[in-house]
Amino acid sequence: MDEIRVLVVDDETDFLRSVVKRLNLRKIQADGVESGEAAMEYLAGRGVDVVVLDIKMPGRDGLWALDEIRKKYPGVEVIVLTGHTAVEVDADRAWSRRGAFDCLIKPVRIEALIEKIRAAYEKQRGVKA
Amino acid sequence: MTDKPYIRLSKRMAVTVLLASLVPLYVFGMAIYWYLTNAQEEQQKESLRNLAVNQAKAIGLYLAERTSLVEVLVESASLEQLSREGELEKVLNLLNQRAKSFLDLGIIGANGYHVAYVGPYHLERLNYSESTWFLKTKVHGVYVSDVFLGYRGVPHFVVAVRKGHNPDSWILRATIDSDVFTQLVRSAQLSARGDAYIINQFGLYQTPPRFAGQILEPAGIQPQDLPVGRVTVRDRVTPDGRRVFSAFYWLEKEGWLLVVEEERASHGVAAGVVVAILALGSAIISGAVLFLLRLMIRQFEAQERRRAALDAQLAHSARLVSLGRMAAGVAHEINNPLAAIGELAGLVEDLMDEELVKASPNGELFRDNIIKIQQHVDRARGVTHRLLGFARRMEPHWDMVDINQVLKETYSFLEKEAMFRGVQVTLDLEAGLSLMKSDQAQLQQVFLNLLDNALDAVKSGGHVTIRSRRNGDGARVTFADDGPGVPPDCRDRIFDPFFTTKAPGEGSGLGLSISYSIMQKLGGDLRLLPDGGPGAVFEVNVSPAGE
Repeated sequence: MDEIRVLVVDDETDFLRSVVKRLNLRKIQADGVESGEAAMEYLAGRGVDVVVLDIKMPGRDGLWALDEIRKKYPGVEVIVLTGHTAVEVDADRAWSRRGAFDCLIKPVRIEALIEKIRAAYEKQRGVKA
Repeated sequence: MTDKPYIRLSKRMAVTVLLASLVPLYVFGMAIYWYLTNAQEEQQKESLRNLAVNQAKAIGLYLAERTSLVEVLVESASLEQLSREGELEKVLNLLNQRAKSFLDLGIIGANGYHVAYVGPYHLERLNYSESTWFLKTKVHGVYVSDVFLGYRGVPHFVVAVRKGHNPDSWILRATIDSDVFTQLVRSAQLSARGDAYIINQFGLYQTPPRFAGQILEPAGIQPQDLPVGRVTVRDRVTPDGRRVFSAFYWLEKEGWLLVVEEERASHGVAAGVVVAILALGSAIISGAVLFLLRLMIRQFEAQERRRAALDAQLAHSARLVSLGRMAAGVAHEINNPLAAIGELAGLVEDLMDEELVKASPNGELFRDNIIKIQQHVDRARGVTHRLLGFARRMEPHWDMVDINQVLKETYSFLEKEAMFRGVQVTLDLEAGLSLMKSDQAQLQQVFLNLLDNALDAVKSGGHVTIRSRRNGDGARVTFADDGPGVPPDCRDRIFDPFFTTKAPGEGSGLGLSISYSIMQKLGGDLRLLPDGGPGAVFEVNVSPAGE
């Protein structure tokens, strides 16, 4: 099986580096960038299956990136990460309306993240196929 | 709860209303009283006035009639005729025939001696030439005397008529029966407390008064001030101290003053009635006012209480809302660092292989700690994720839960910490507690919270006991510590969000609140036992979830 290609987008450096390393240790081809723009640049050059994107609401950076990715790379599934508690997330559901695959609330167990990544990948493969 | 403003208000209202209603009542009452008594007095005076006038006329008429009789007698008979034996007696009887008015009859010659006499006294040898009446009669021809004692020593007055001139004149003298006359005068008397009498121009009684005083004594009245020809009504005090209305009327011919008097009507009855009405009115009005005021004040107070309760509720809700919003903001701020910690520690764990662990004497500790760090991150995540409300994602996830197992796991999380703190934790778990349907993760969060609190409560050397018992279909788990317990004034706030007795920074005050909510959601409950002692005893009742 091909390794899943994942791009993690988060401005928290410690978090970013650790998550990427841990994903790599688990046979996922992961890479990380620290901003929405950087993500778009990366996606322009490389193929990616799943993007893990920190929304960082109420800032616009994350949502903008989400829109851009869905627009420019509709085949790429996006999993949204947020620090907000469930109530706000559910109430807003902006991520869902904008086409993200799912949403996870930080801090997130690595196993749960990987599960979601695999599910997104399955979906993506299903679409492709 | 202060009701001081209402007490002030009610006092002011009471005073105002009472004044407004009672003052007019009293004024009106007094006006009526004054009017009644005044009217009464005027009436009395008017009666007296009329009475005096009429009575004076009657008396005047009476005296005029007696005088006429004597005059006629003098004209119609000669001296010889009248002086004959028994003649005077016949005449006297004739005069007294219709009404007894004369006491005696006497003929007195010009020399002052009786020529003839008929009557009860022995006056034959007496000489009257010096007597006032004699002299006056000689001058005026017809004379009605004042009352005097005379020779007989008894108060009397006479009607005397002269016939002829000196030296042949003679006088026919008749003594008026005082009793009869007094009766006549007294017939003016209005009531049992009234009186009627005559005084002469010198102020001496001519007829006996009914109360104090005797005939010929001074009456204590100055007749000179009193005008002639009309009735004067005066309000005066008698010599014996009675307050009376006196009507004075001159009998001009006789120079006598008729006095008709009536004691001033006691105002007792009128006063009594008015006072009674006022008292009754006051009592009723006061009673009604105070009763209504009390009712009203109670309404106010009740409303005030309701409003205060509502306010308190609203304030509480508002606090919760603002705290909630703040907490949400805080949660977000916490989740990011937590995520970083979790991943950093997770990475270390991932990279820690057996070789590394064995390479250092502390290797095991390092691995243990890394694992524990992640567990605590999990725990913290649990708290922040459930901070406010539950979203769709956070609905209970039903498992078949082994309560005792969950308790043991919970203990294992904090075992090292307990040892480190020198706290002895005892697990008293009833064997064979059946599996029950519940949310394991959330139950664990509750147990963790309670055990954590217990550990915080006891100092080094303290004890914590975790006990599980079957409770019907479910289980009852108690966490008992021998710490200081929960102070009574904190007991009903202990499950409030953000309520904590710990120093700032040591506790968020959320643990019990969240645990409480979790248990409510799962269908059980969480409570602080009121007298579990010595420390705090929290009891968790786990009910199996319904289908």
